[in-house]
Amino acid sequence: MLAVTIGREIFAQLTVNGIFRGASYGLIGAGFALILGVTGRFHFAYGFTYTLAAYMAYTLHFRGTPFGPFSDGFPFIIAGIIAVLLVSGVGVGIERFVYRPIAKGAGATALLAVFVAALGIGIAGQSLIALLWGQQSQGFYDQGRIVKKEAWSIWKVTFENLDVYQLITSTTLIFVFAAVLKYTSLGRQLKATRVNPDLATVIGINANKMYLICFGIGTFFAGVAAFWYGLQFTVNPDMGSRPVITAFVVAFLAGTASSPIKVFFTGIAIALLEQWSSMFISTRWTQTAVFIVLFIYLISRSFSTTAFGRKVKRIVTFQGVRA
Amino acid sequence: MQIWVNYLDQILIYGALALSLNLLLGYAGQVSVAHAAFGAIGGYTMGYMVTTYNTNLMITMLVGMVFAFIAGGLIALVAIRLTTDYLILLTLAWGYVLIGVFSTIPALGGSFGIISINSEPHKLRFFGWTMNRPSDWLIPIIIMVAITLFIVWRLGESAYGRTLKGIREDPIATQSTGKNTFVMLVAVFAITSSLAALAGAFTAGWLGLATPPVFGFNFSLTIFAIVIFGGMANFKGSLIAAFVLTGLDPILRRVIKMDQEKAFLIQIIIYGLLLVILMALRPQGIIPEGRTLRSFFVRNKDQARTEMAPASDSSPTFVTRSSGGETDQAKRHEKWANAEIVLEARGISKSFGGIIAAEDLDFVLKKGTITALVGPNGAGKTTVFNLLTGAIPPDRGTVSLRGKDITGKNLDGSAREGLIRSFQDVRLFQRLSCLDNVKFGVQGQHGEKIRNLFSAPGKVRASDRMTHEKAMEWLSFVGMQDFAHVPTAALSYGQTKLISLARVLATEAEVILLDEPASGIDTKWVDSMLDLIHAISEQGRTVCIVEHNLRVVTDLADHAYFMELGRITAEGTVDQLTSSPRLAQAYFGTV
Repeated sequence: MLAVTIGREIFAQLTVNGIFRGASYGLIGAGFALILGVTGRFHFAYGFTYTLAAYMAYTLHFRGTPFGPFSDGFPFIIAGIIAVLLVSGVGVGIERFVYRPIAKGAGATALLAVFVAALGIGIAGQSLIALLWGQQSQGFYDQGRIVKKEAWSIWKVTFENLDVYQLITSTTLIFVFAAVLKYTSLGRQLKATRVNPDLATVIGINANKMYLICFGIGTFFAGVAAFWYGLQFTVNPDMGSRPVITAFVVAFLAGTASSPIKVFFTGIAIALLEQWSSMFISTRWTQTAVFIVLFIYLISRSFSTTAFGRKVKRIVTFQGVRA
Repeated sequence: MQIWVNYLDQILIYGALALSLNLLLGYAGQVSVAHAAFGAIGGYTMGYMVTTYNTNLMITMLVGMVFAFIAGGLIALVAIRLTTDYLILLTLAWGYVLIGVFSTIPALGGSFGIISINSEPHKLRFFGWTMNRPSDWLIPIIIMVAITLFIVWRLGESAYGRTLKGIREDPIATQSTGKNTFVMLVAVFAITSSLAALAGAFTAGWLGLATPPVFGFNFSLTIFAIVIFGGMANFKGSLIAAFVLTGLDPILRRVIKMDQEKAFLIQIIIYGLLLVILMALRPQGIIPEGRTLRSFFVRNKDQARTEMAPASDSSPTFVTRSSGGETDQAKRHEKWANAEIVLEARGISKSFGGIIAAEDLDFVLKKGTITALVGPNGAGKTTVFNLLTGAIPPDRGTVSLRGKDITGKNLDGSAREGLIRSFQDVRLFQRLSCLDNVKFGVQGQHGEKIRNLFSAPGKVRASDRMTHEKAMEWLSFVGMQDFAHVPTAALSYGQTKLISLARVLATEAEVILLDEPASGIDTKWVDSMLDLIHAISEQGRTVCIVEHNLRVVTDLADHAYFMELGRITAEGTVDQLTSSPRLAQAYFGTV
């Protein structure tokens, strides 16, 4: 099928869909890039914290506290905020009580050891959620008393009010965070830690604390994205795997040391690619499209360096500094 | 009964996949989370050929292995240039792309996959023996596991496997001893992928299915977890872990009588938590590398003692003590002037961006003499070594060894030509023993060639014995023979310098480039190091050193080149150089 035969409306609709979805990808991607870029932890359990946030918000909203004024459940915004904050705490806890001791114990093989532990937490966490809440998808919204879902339409392009709220929150968070990185002392400390944690420690930055902050912020971003996703669609134990792998892709494509704004727009670009590609190829292929892009990127990256590239670069810097 | 045999089938298939992944992950250190995707190639190829063309089962398996061999080799070409985090991402993407592509091809059943593999009229048969029940599968599966075990064991527990471990620990250092790491990595990816395809064909046959979820990411993770549990570079561990982890299912379902869905979830939770606990307590796996199963239960006291051994900082004893320092400079110059040229560099230049690291370097190294490169920090001395050995290709200029142009060679190529270097930051293989480290240096080992491992075991055995003797000889030469079985991570810094020297010497290369052999070690050790270097030179080998310590340079060098900001600005005997006030100032600064 050719693009010409497809109406302009469809193109506009896909573009709008891509921007909304991309904002979510961008937010998750920025969180993951922050964690990987600064701490170097391959945080595979990121998807678990994403899913957990949605489930927590769901539970807080529908069940609330066992007694007191909220025994009927929290208002949905409050439920969301509490859930996202709780989950940020879980993220910080994972770094503090799992990754940090493991990385210390494993020494040179820390990357692999942390990756394996993260994998363990990720699969155990997902199954635990399935065990506690059940395997089936659950509707977050259709119980009548949350925000009304409304369909809006401008020039034949339709979307939901929730889409707009999601886009606004994601964009705000990203730009606020970018400003924090750029203008505050905390931001400079984070960037210094990203460049060299040991050196940062020497000049009086508490690198361990910076790591915890990264996990807090990163998980917060994932939580916010999950909250909106759960509200718009459904929550299920497996909801984390797909967006989070997309987030990996976004983070690596943008570069883990890039500004959150760049990561954010990379997320939107990926989502647009996903949407637009459905004009030309079957939707089953669009699922794979992201990975094909990543695959091509990795191949091109690979061939732009020599074998064992980064290691050779290290020799080069060595002679610059020391020899 | 058939239920239990079915579990046994499953354990063995998982075990086979874990064995091949362990060769890749544990030995070669390549973190792949796409092993099941290579299995999918085998499974789908078998399923498609059997159901569509009714091809002989064994032939379909071979075809699948060939496909996976090629795919694995191609993936390796990309993987070889990526660091671990990117490699994880690459294999993750590869797994999704492959399964994604399979599930869009109608001939392969689309997203449903191929679902009627082992049913009439295409019943699977090995030599006319129909695979009806789990017990029919048992013997073919055992044979498959045996073949896999034989291949991975032969590759892993040999000189080839030792080199793979070197690539895992430090690819650059491995290359510097003349190993073609590129070819080895591609080969190990290709071989492990085709073994995965074989096991994948069995998976599909045994299940009667080749569907996207069967070979999905979760299957890859399960295999990955089995390898991690069993311990890296430990085949026995992988088989045991396959048994234990797969065994959880029957325990939960049949002994505790849980319903299937709950048992499945609890099983995964246990896997996950075990992985975390394992990483916290024993990051090397249940049975760490280099340990036998027995030592896991009964800790061998002798072994324990040797592991703890390097408490005494014994200084080496010497074969020869040359008259070194007393030799008069003029005599040395004469010796240098009359020696024949072995290595000649002409017009070598290199710049990184705008920074000129080397400009128009001309110099020669002569047989049986010691040449020193001296100069202030940042003069580009180490870069010269990188340029000569091809670790960094020069922009211009030529390097010739005994008249032969070796300019285009890379690090391992130039090492095989007889130009070998040491590293300022030592670069030993930390988890390997001193003896194994030195064995890397020994050239022409038959056990490094895959072909020999399977076609000429006798030749390999003889070559291994010789390698062992030679390595021991060089260890004794530097006085470290008592530390043969100690992992180098346990050595003091001075001792690591000696082992790295022994590794360089074991290559018996004609030209030896030593990067700061005496830096960072105390005076007593410096003397021993000097003696060793003199001894090497007296054997007729050509030595070039980069060194800051003026005492060392004065003691050793027959000839010296002075470098400043990437240029050679003076040459002569050390006395001549040090007597020039300008050079002294450039080197020591204004006093």
